[in-house]
Amino acid sequence: MPLTYDAIVVGSGISGGWAAKELCEKGLKTIVLEAGRPIDPNVDYVEHVPPHEMRYRGMGDRNRIERYQPVQRRCSACNEYSGKFFVNDLDNPYSTPDDKPFMWIRGRQVGGRSIMWGRHTYRWSDLDYEANVRQGIAVDWPIRYKDIAPWYSYVERFAGIQGAKEGLAHLPDGEFLPPWPLNVAEQRAREEVLKKFDGQRLITQARQAILTRNHNGRAACHLCGNCERGCITLSYFSSLNATLPAARKTGNLTVRPFSVVHSVIYDPKTHRAKGVRVVDGNTRTMFDVHAKIVFLNASALESARILLNSKTAEFPTGLGNSSGELGHNVMDHIMGGGASATLPWYKDRRGLGNRPGAVFVPRFRNVKTAHPDFVRGYGFEGGAERGDWSRGTWMSGFGADFKKALISDLGPWEMTFYGFGEMLPRHENRIEIDPHLVDAWGIPALRVSCAYGENEKKMLDDMVVTATEMFEAMGAENIRPIKDDNPPGLVIHEMGTARMGRDPKTSVLNAHNQMWDVPNVFITDGACMTSTANQNPSITYMALTARAVDYAVGLLRRREL
Amino acid sequence: MQRREVVRYLGAAFALPFLPRNADAAIRLGEDLHRRLTDTSFRTLDTPQQMLVTDICEMIIPETDTPGAVSVRVPQFIDLLLAEWASDEEKAEFLAGLTDIDARAAAFGVQQQGQRRFVDLAPAAKTELLTALDRERGAKSGAGLAFGRLKSMTVYGYFTSKPVYENVLRTRMYFDGYKGDVPFTAAR
Repeated sequence: MPLTYDAIVVGSGISGGWAAKELCEKGLKTIVLEAGRPIDPNVDYVEHVPPHEMRYRGMGDRNRIERYQPVQRRCSACNEYSGKFFVNDLDNPYSTPDDKPFMWIRGRQVGGRSIMWGRHTYRWSDLDYEANVRQGIAVDWPIRYKDIAPWYSYVERFAGIQGAKEGLAHLPDGEFLPPWPLNVAEQRAREEVLKKFDGQRLITQARQAILTRNHNGRAACHLCGNCERGCITLSYFSSLNATLPAARKTGNLTVRPFSVVHSVIYDPKTHRAKGVRVVDGNTRTMFDVHAKIVFLNASALESARILLNSKTAEFPTGLGNSSGELGHNVMDHIMGGGASATLPWYKDRRGLGNRPGAVFVPRFRNVKTAHPDFVRGYGFEGGAERGDWSRGTWMSGFGADFKKALISDLGPWEMTFYGFGEMLPRHENRIEIDPHLVDAWGIPALRVSCAYGENEKKMLDDMVVTATEMFEAMGAENIRPIKDDNPPGLVIHEMGTARMGRDPKTSVLNAHNQMWDVPNVFITDGACMTSTANQNPSITYMALTARAVDYAVGLLRRREL
Repeated sequence: MQRREVVRYLGAAFALPFLPRNADAAIRLGEDLHRRLTDTSFRTLDTPQQMLVTDICEMIIPETDTPGAVSVRVPQFIDLLLAEWASDEEKAEFLAGLTDIDARAAAFGVQQQGQRRFVDLAPAAKTELLTALDRERGAKSGAGLAFGRLKSMTVYGYFTSKPVYENVLRTRMYFDGYKGDVPFTAAR
């Protein structure tokens, strides 16, 4: 007998947690199927463990990581403390063409990647939602900022987002908690850049899902700075810290770890999903779960993989793929251009506290004037800090004075700008089922074929130029340009594999994240995205999820599903 | 402490020909076991290499009014990294570089009354040689490479050791909000 619930949520990360919370709070008995293990914060969160309690002092069990996590290790958060939150690559294979490397960074556990995410949260604007249609690229988003703005507010009020209101039309302000201040060096950098670039380039506080005061039963951040290891005070937003506990409070939530969803079960008579087929992660046995609504929140590539593995006579290339777009239009952001420099100021001042994020430079390209080389834009993350003892690993000297300087003094202010840019949707960037590859649970695995195009490469070049310009303008010294050749995937913002649109012939989802072909299936993770903007996407996933649940439950109550 | 080490040492204890007959003997046995459990022997560096590494570590971060690299067991940490963390290639490069440091010292030694190894040099000569090696620490091989890696590992191992982390740096984990403009003067 199948397990039966009102709603199924596949995945427990950022968007799955929100789906669970909203469905449960609206009274639906909801099961969250999570492929990975349960997490016990009292055991698994290790943010306060000092390095001397780790065998390699935080440098990681290199041989083990190289053997079992050759892809995951490319993410800096996959270290001796947090490597356990990243998948074993041998159990979770995927293939790529030789000339198109793709770094698929994954976390399979209750909480998913929301445990180790970057926590930057920026609203999108109509500069983003209208970009495709204005430029004739891919398809138009079926929503505009006004459709999602109230939902941004809704999720921000619950999650707790710190940020400074800047009044930018293209980076709308949100429902912010007071931000941490810029430090004295960043403040001066802001003033110099504003002056030299006539207000067109702005250094502002990073907008982050980290609490600066107690909020909704969660404590203000204490600035230990080790967010990717977990947070026992629940101070940053994750599904484990915030949405799943809220869902649990309703009494309507069941979380089933070790539940690897194989496929969606389709009923051709009703044209609805009956539920999902699941492989038990421990016993490898299969079982079914039935429900009235299915939310796929397994991540952009995994949700599409489930549908590609759900072939039927009606949908021979994957469930809900009448458009032919399922699995196509894979996107990530592009990162890696920027610069670092020494700021020759305030040697008698320092910052106090380990901020997990510091500053953000909102997009300034193609906002008011068109750039000749590329469309869309990018922003910079970064910050300024004074060097600590670790500068001793590369600076000159040894002996008593060297030691004393490392203990008692600080290095100069060092600042970095690191760019994150938009990637255009392209049909040829795609995932498909690899006929020769299965994962550890016998489920057919993916072949990912994705590469950056000329627009992204030109943008990367420009990041180096503009970061260097800003440092020159502020009188920085020792400017070191940065240009990292990162393969796609490594930004960990995969999107686009089941895009939203206005036309069922060219998109997989409608304006409410509902599958055109299978109306009781909703997808609200990165798969749904029609373009990437340059801003970090998670707050948009959260808002789209809450909005989609509201719509889905409305349909259910009106018996329209 | 790794499980396999505990098992190895407990195995040695169980092989003792007699069990302690009284409380004092039991305590002595316990203390001895504890010492052996926490004093992991070197596994990669042989005795001359240990002496060389120990000497240079202490020159990089000497004992002053605060502990030096040797008293917080940096050489043992370096040996652990060589045994379990470094690749075979990195280990070979490093050990070859140590040999090269002694070769440089030998060349030095001809002018300094025929002494042969780094550890045998007079303090001033050691300082002179390390000063030269510090300028070469970006080298891709040889003595410069070995010194560069030794220095990185010494600094990292020293500042992440428990005594330094807790008592010298007095590392703070908790802050009442971020403060971005705090007066700072280097301690004298």
